[in-house]
Amino acid sequence: MKNCLVVDNSKMIRRVAGRILSELKFNTDEAENGQEALSQCRTKMPDVVLVDWNMPVMDGLTFVKALRQEPNGQKPIVLFCTAERDVVKIAQALEAGADEYIMKPFDSDIIASKFQQAGLLAA
Amino acid sequence: MSNVLSLKTSYYEALKRLTLELAGVNLGDDHAFLVETRLSALARQEGYQNLTQMIDDLFGQGQTRLAIRVVSALLERDTHFNPDPVGIETFETLLLPELYKANPLAKLRVLSFACSSGQEPYSLSIAVDKFLKDKENFSVEILGVDYPSPALSRAKEGKYTHFEVQRGLPIRDLITYFDRAGEDWIVKPSISQRVSFEEFHLLSKPDGLGQFDVVLFRNSLAHYSSPARIRVIRSLASVVKHEGYLMFGSEEKLPTTNHNFDIVPNRPNVLKKHAEEIIPPPEIELPKAPPKEYQPGQSPAERA
Repeated sequence: MKNCLVVDNSKMIRRVAGRILSELKFNTDEAENGQEALSQCRTKMPDVVLVDWNMPVMDGLTFVKALRQEPNGQKPIVLFCTAERDVVKIAQALEAGADEYIMKPFDSDIIASKFQQAGLLAA
Repeated sequence: MSNVLSLKTSYYEALKRLTLELAGVNLGDDHAFLVETRLSALARQEGYQNLTQMIDDLFGQGQTRLAIRVVSALLERDTHFNPDPVGIETFETLLLPELYKANPLAKLRVLSFACSSGQEPYSLSIAVDKFLKDKENFSVEILGVDYPSPALSRAKEGKYTHFEVQRGLPIRDLITYFDRAGEDWIVKPSISQRVSFEEFHLLSKPDGLGQFDVVLFRNSLAHYSSPARIRVIRSLASVVKHEGYLMFGSEEKLPTTNHNFDIVPNRPNVLKKHAEEIIPPPEIELPKAPPKEYQPGQSPAERA
């Protein structure tokens, strides 16, 4: 089973995402902000990261830039999962190293579809 | 059927027959809730107080326009962008290059049959855009056809919710080929300008649509009754240009073979039409001999 790290300061979102990911046969770990996620990645690099943009301590964009500089930091497939829908912000996320982008609110179909596009699930 | 539904079982059976007769599509026995939801919305749009009133009118007065509206509402499909990624990839990386190689100055015509709310024609147009890049004299027009329905009206508008654009559309394609329109997203003119839509009864003869280099009819075959399936496939085969392609869904088994088509190697769902029509030889007319009377005890050889 692949590991997915869910990074979001909302406990509710972490729980909902975790439930969907478990249905898609992923193990999930959780972090409340970018700083906590970064230290988890240094200990155990996940296969996938689902990360929010706006979080206290360290935001998602800063986290993704830092993650991609880490040894083995290119390995995880990174998907932003955020309420930000501005095209400029989406472009910034991709520029920083995100592979896909999910706009909240989301449902299980959207997560499955994005995971397929990222090559994490068979089409 | 559940007791919470207001539609009588006899009405549901009549609607199933109507859908089969008008569209050749078999509605399952377990679609009662879907039927009720869709037709209740249509009844409101049509100005009826409730669904039963509309159905009474439909079967009591035999209104053709209403019958088509009802069947269209029942057949509306939930479609996604890139509904069949393998199919779009085949179109972009195999069919377009082959057709371009055959005629770099061509103006290709592509038909998306049963296009619903338009995601397939727009996905094809995005694939064309990626392919065209430096091919100035090669152009493609895409026609989407389906029954008249709210879905087809939405297709013409090219506007999709944030849920719809996230099902099947990679984020890079979204920000490249769509503009934000409030909470929704609208297809950019560079993509929509090569796409048009027409209302079309899918069981009628498609001669008026013209001839096409590629015809796509995907993921719908299973819903059709056998006679309707044969009729649709024959119709579609007739509008494919020579050396053009007829494409079904990746998971679909072709129900019949046609002597004017070959299956494309490694693409069992894609058929290529021959360069020239092959007309089957006429049956040899045998000389008419008076039938011999059958004599009891005579062997077949003796009768011949």
